[in-house]
Amino acid sequence: MQSTETEFLVPTSVSEALESISKEDAIFLGGGTSTALLYKTRLIEPSRVVWLGNVGELKGIFASDGEVKIGSMTTAAEIAANRDIARLLPGVCTASGVIGNARVRAMATLGGALAHADPRQDMPPALIAVGAEVSVKSSLSTRRIPLAEFYEGFLETVLDPDELITEVTIPLVANRRSAYIRYTPTSEGDYPTVGAGSSVTFGSDGKIIEAASVVLCGVGSVPIISNQASQLLVGTTGDDAALRRAAEAVREIVEPQDDERGSAAYKREMASIFAFRSLKSCLGS
Amino acid sequence: MKINFSLNGKGTELDVDPMSLALDVIRGLSLTGTKEGCGVGVCGACTIMVNGAPVSSCICLVGTLVDKDVWTIEGLAEKMPELIDSFVENEGMQCGICTPGQIVAAASIDSAGVSTSEEIRKYMAGNLCRCTGYQTIVSAVEDHLAVN
Ligand SMILES: Cc1cc2nc3c(=O)[nH]c(=O)nc-3n(C[C@H](O)[C@H](O)[C@H](O)COP(=O)(O)OP(=O)(O)OC[C@H]3O[C@@H](n4cnc5c(N)ncnc54)[C@H](O)[C@@H]3O)c2cc1C
Ligand code: FES
Ligand code: FES
Repeated sequence: MQSTETEFLVPTSVSEALESISKEDAIFLGGGTSTALLYKTRLIEPSRVVWLGNVGELKGIFASDGEVKIGSMTTAAEIAANRDIARLLPGVCTASGVIGNARVRAMATLGGALAHADPRQDMPPALIAVGAEVSVKSSLSTRRIPLAEFYEGFLETVLDPDELITEVTIPLVANRRSAYIRYTPTSEGDYPTVGAGSSVTFGSDGKIIEAASVVLCGVGSVPIISNQASQLLVGTTGDDAALRRAAEAVREIVEPQDDERGSAAYKREMASIFAFRSLKSCLGS
Repeated sequence: MKINFSLNGKGTELDVDPMSLALDVIRGLSLTGTKEGCGVGVCGACTIMVNGAPVSSCICLVGTLVDKDVWTIEGLAEKMPELIDSFVENEGMQCGICTPGQIVAAASIDSAGVSTSEEIRKYMAGNLCRCTGYQTIVSAVEDHLAVN
């Protein structure tokens, strides 16, 4: 059936992986959950696949005083079960624990979850809300990109085809609380109609909000970041009236489309409501 | 490409296209207990166990199984007869198409650190059944965990 078999390379180090990707139309493979579906319908037909499963240096979760680093080949299940993540980054813990079903979470990697760039995905809003940065390497260069600037469109990122995501760094900030919640009106394992990641950082007095972030998935071609919601929260105590104003601002900025998960108007409403609830859950945590 | 992995406890070497789906490769070995339902990772009929965790073989490229410990319903039925008994005693099946997947998922439940009834339901939510109404499946898994 197959005329030419795809070359399947199994590097054991980052440098070997970067050398292997040099061929035109070669792709990296993490858990393969998205790629298998695209390949099955021949939406992609790479001549070479560089599978990262045996690159040990890309795996693991490391928490230190100022930051948490997660290797790109760490699975969603591993992130969801990690105690440091649960304690320090509850929104990231929730998001990694709701992706698809237990079988998807066992295979899906952080690198794949970010690079796939389906705007309904749960990890990007949770991670953007806590200021995550993506470390990227190619054989020629190394760079670090704020996840907030990573997405260009539906299934499109700023990555060049030969660029490998090595890890994600999340700064730990004193007095910051974060959360992620999503709304799935169909089945539990489906993509969400809307997901809302948020964080709120209080000043040293613990009363006045100094910084905030509200990020939505499912309601645009990329994750939607509401700067206005953040501005409306800064300087307040996070009272319900302030939260409601922030949620109003979210309603204005989202760009949802009609589909089987709801009409555009409905999603706009849900985005606002779930932004409110996400912030509420931040403040309650 | 030659792929080495352990299948149902036995070292196995296959010469296959690494981009073929684990589902097709496994069924091609006459291990037809693994079923295809949705083919897109949603229903769980095709569940296999890889390094102790449940995996949808319909979206698993066989190249990613290199060096892994893979179990199908056939191997697990021999290895864990008490789990099969628990499904039989609780009548955790009707038409049976989802049953191999339900049992493999249940066998992999340790990987998820699941213990409470609520957690069992949440974990098993990824394995769809159109017949039983789920209660008998949940009871079978609960009974099994209690005896273990
Ligand atoms: C049934 C099902 C349900 C799902 N439900 C949800 C859901 O509810 N919420 C949700 O958020 N997502 C959901 N998803 C999507 C899921 O999150 C992605 O499929 C998964 O995260 C991709 O990770 P992977 O490691 O399997 O990626 P792969 O398929 O291995 O790779 C995906 C893409 O990322 C690239 N890539 C992988 N690793 C790297 C790297 N280190 N550097 C650079 N590029 C890389 C690959 O080249 C490819 O383009 C679902 C998927 C399925 C199949
Ligand atoms: S056939 Fe694989 S999950 Fe449905
Ligand atoms: S027993 Fe028929 S689908 Fe589950």
